[in-house]
Amino acid sequence: MATNEATPSVKKLQVRRFKPEENPKKHYLNEETGIWAWMTTVDHKKIGLMYLASITFFFFIGGVLALLLRTELLSPARSFMDANVYNQVFTLHGAIMIFFFLIPSVPAALGNFVLPLQLGAKDVAFPRLNLASYYIYVIGALFTIFAIFTGGVDTGWTFYTPYSTTTSGNVMAMTFGVFILGFSSILTGLNFIVTIHKLRSPGLTWNKLPLNLWGLYATSLIQILATPVLAITLLLLTMERALGIGIFDPAIGGDPVLYQHFFWFYSHPAVYIMIVPGFGIISEVISTFSRKVIFGYWAIALSSLAIAFIGFLVWGHHMFTAGQSSLANMVFSFLTFLVGIPTGIKIFNWIATMYRGSIDLKAPMIYALVFLFLFTIGGFTGIMLGALAVDIHLHDTYYVVAHFHYVMMGGMVMAFLAGLHYWWPKMFGKMYSEFWARISCALIFVGFNMTFLPQFVMGAQGMPRRYFNYIDQFQPFHQFSTMGAYVMGVGFLIMAGYLLHSMLKGKAAGSNPWGSRALEWQTSSPVPLHNFEHTPVIINGPYDYHKPMSEFQLGIATPHHDHHDDHQPTDVTQTEKEQA
Amino acid sequence: MSQPSALEEKLDHLQHHFIDSDQQFEASKLGMWIFLVTEILFFGGLFTAYIVYRSWYPELYLLASAELDTFWGAVNTFVLIGSSLTVAMAIRSAQLNQIKGLIINLWITIGLAGVFMVIKFFEYTHKFEKGIFPGSHYSYEGIAHEKANIFFSIYYMMTGLHGVHVMIGIGLMIWLVIKAKKKVFHSGYYTPVEITGLYWHLVDIIWIFLFPLLYLID
Amino acid sequence: MSGHHISSAKFLWGVAISLFMLTFLTIFVTWVHIPEPWNVVVAIGIAVVKATIVAAFFMNLYWDSKFNVMLFIMSIIFFLLFIGVTLLDTLYRTDPIPSF
Repeated sequence: MATNEATPSVKKLQVRRFKPEENPKKHYLNEETGIWAWMTTVDHKKIGLMYLASITFFFFIGGVLALLLRTELLSPARSFMDANVYNQVFTLHGAIMIFFFLIPSVPAALGNFVLPLQLGAKDVAFPRLNLASYYIYVIGALFTIFAIFTGGVDTGWTFYTPYSTTTSGNVMAMTFGVFILGFSSILTGLNFIVTIHKLRSPGLTWNKLPLNLWGLYATSLIQILATPVLAITLLLLTMERALGIGIFDPAIGGDPVLYQHFFWFYSHPAVYIMIVPGFGIISEVISTFSRKVIFGYWAIALSSLAIAFIGFLVWGHHMFTAGQSSLANMVFSFLTFLVGIPTGIKIFNWIATMYRGSIDLKAPMIYALVFLFLFTIGGFTGIMLGALAVDIHLHDTYYVVAHFHYVMMGGMVMAFLAGLHYWWPKMFGKMYSEFWARISCALIFVGFNMTFLPQFVMGAQGMPRRYFNYIDQFQPFHQFSTMGAYVMGVGFLIMAGYLLHSMLKGKAAGSNPWGSRALEWQTSSPVPLHNFEHTPVIINGPYDYHKPMSEFQLGIATPHHDHHDDHQPTDVTQTEKEQA
Repeated sequence: MSQPSALEEKLDHLQHHFIDSDQQFEASKLGMWIFLVTEILFFGGLFTAYIVYRSWYPELYLLASAELDTFWGAVNTFVLIGSSLTVAMAIRSAQLNQIKGLIINLWITIGLAGVFMVIKFFEYTHKFEKGIFPGSHYSYEGIAHEKANIFFSIYYMMTGLHGVHVMIGIGLMIWLVIKAKKKVFHSGYYTPVEITGLYWHLVDIIWIFLFPLLYLID
Repeated sequence: MSGHHISSAKFLWGVAISLFMLTFLTIFVTWVHIPEPWNVVVAIGIAVVKATIVAAFFMNLYWDSKFNVMLFIMSIIFFLLFIGVTLLDTLYRTDPIPSF
């Protein structure tokens, strides 16, 4: 059906409409069945689900650890944990939540699932590498679990020297586990960049790329540039412990601040790895549930890249009190103010998108609104911490703890939940209970603010972070905070309940329950094994709600050449000969 | 169809999610370049440590570098540049469907890489004899600087990590030889050779910087 | 396959020989006394030329997609940012004089 024109630069395609099949009999979940099929799958959707299961597991573990901490903090001094156990628990909570939940959450779990669909591709560029990426994640996790049971780690997730080079406990196993995990992150980023560059459907130009993909693209760039520096940092730390290399330990001639430079060069961009995919999801959800074209497409797209770039220049704001030169302090403080600007641009654009839109308050949208509120608080307080003189007072207090929980949990986790609730029908072909979703969201929202709002006040009054003990004036704050944590926990348990129920007995979702214009909704729910039975052809932007749905379902028949069929090669040779 | 046609055999490598061989080749090349970006940042960390400590203790670097044998470092530089040449020739052989030439050039590259590792081995053992060990095992008295162990820690980390990459390259090229003998590669498909070549050239580039920075300080 | 540049054997040998000569130059330059910090600048400068030759003519960036070139250059830029901004700290620390 493809016809070639004489002019080399313009190729006309004869397209027709391909309506997605409702309630498909065969789809990606039942076409390859059995444990072995799952464990050896190269299908990005199944890999995405395996990641989803893993990160849910680690979120649960990290959450339990958080509840343990907060319960211990109900009263000053020892309640049921010794101080060094407390240190291990907060170290683990941080390391697990950051490395095993947040960093992979959107890119590896949701991103893997959705990215090829939004491009109209049959898979990511390197499906086997994708599977390898997952197994590398698992191996890294196993090393970390091994570390927990063979001595534990009590350094904080930041592994600062010289404590980390001299403390007993199995620092090497944990840093090695995180080192391995870094490769998983790098390979996912690599896969995404190549896929977005090389596997776009006909007509999908950069200016029609969904903002979710701009977000994943910017994230992938950060992943490939920053993670290797974490790798070398952890390698050097491991060598420091094993061989006494002496680069970071002052007792043997090194500089501990240099370690912090190395560590934060990755770990600051890492927070952008965590949040930028979330920004992408919010763009999708707000546009879909406002039924309106996104306001300022290029502003949002380019601001993701701006955040990625400027985010590499601000790492020293974690080190204002560490002994950096005043010059570095001032430069980093100034650059930190700059990095807030592209984020602010996004917030304004999202609000402008909602203005005069037709708002549909379904669960994904409610989470998106929660995100806007909580992330703004988190972002503001980040700028406040970026003010050099203010940070001298607030550094290493609960103010910082509250700030990063507002951005990471109030921001990123809410965005993740928005994405989960948004794409759930696409992944499983089932709807969930809107009623219970709202109850859960309300509990999580209330619980979250109960937990972390008091921590801003505590921190400003001087309560240090990572402290097992505290003076009496802080006890009411701690107790209120702990109550909030339990409320949040209940909210998450309810979520687990209704989502499980949806998987087993949920109402069948159509191919497009939200009426979105995006490409992943123009195929069945659950998705067919090879995503699309045709090659989609894109003629509109992904948020053109003023255009009829039929214009988003256009395509051409694919020259199908996979291993099942016998008579493919002729089609392929046609394509190969066309190039010659 | 019972017997696959010659053309179908030639397209054995084509994966189902790619439209044609070219797209697959370009995608693989882009993927390898992205991986090389990560390698540059990975080694970059070590270069950063080197630069910071050299800016703090320039006299240390001057003294310590005298312990490194410039002659053998130079030989290794020539060896690696030569191996870059031969791997480029290997790719050229594949492009021209000269599989025998491909295999020979790969073997020569592996051989040169082996020479590099042998020279490194002797360099290291010579240092160990003097007590120049990495980190806390350092016991050499011959350098009048209290931070001498730091220079050599950086030296061992940088050259050691580079050496690990050379060995990985040797492994990859042996695998390529095996595949080439099984007639997997031809002028229409030599992607693994191309991207292994790219990796190998980066290993060469890193040594091109290591050599003057470590051996030629004076 | 279209668009795959194939270098001639003569060309590849030429590239290798130019790299060998530049290596000799790297060594000879150390026998000439150049004042600090220019000796480092010269050494790195020659290394950069060699690396560029390898990247352009052995790794074929000269004939390759501009995006791959940009990736390579971007990685160098980020490395330079890392070292540059770190040096803003490490080079500018003044030891505080204790007041006691």
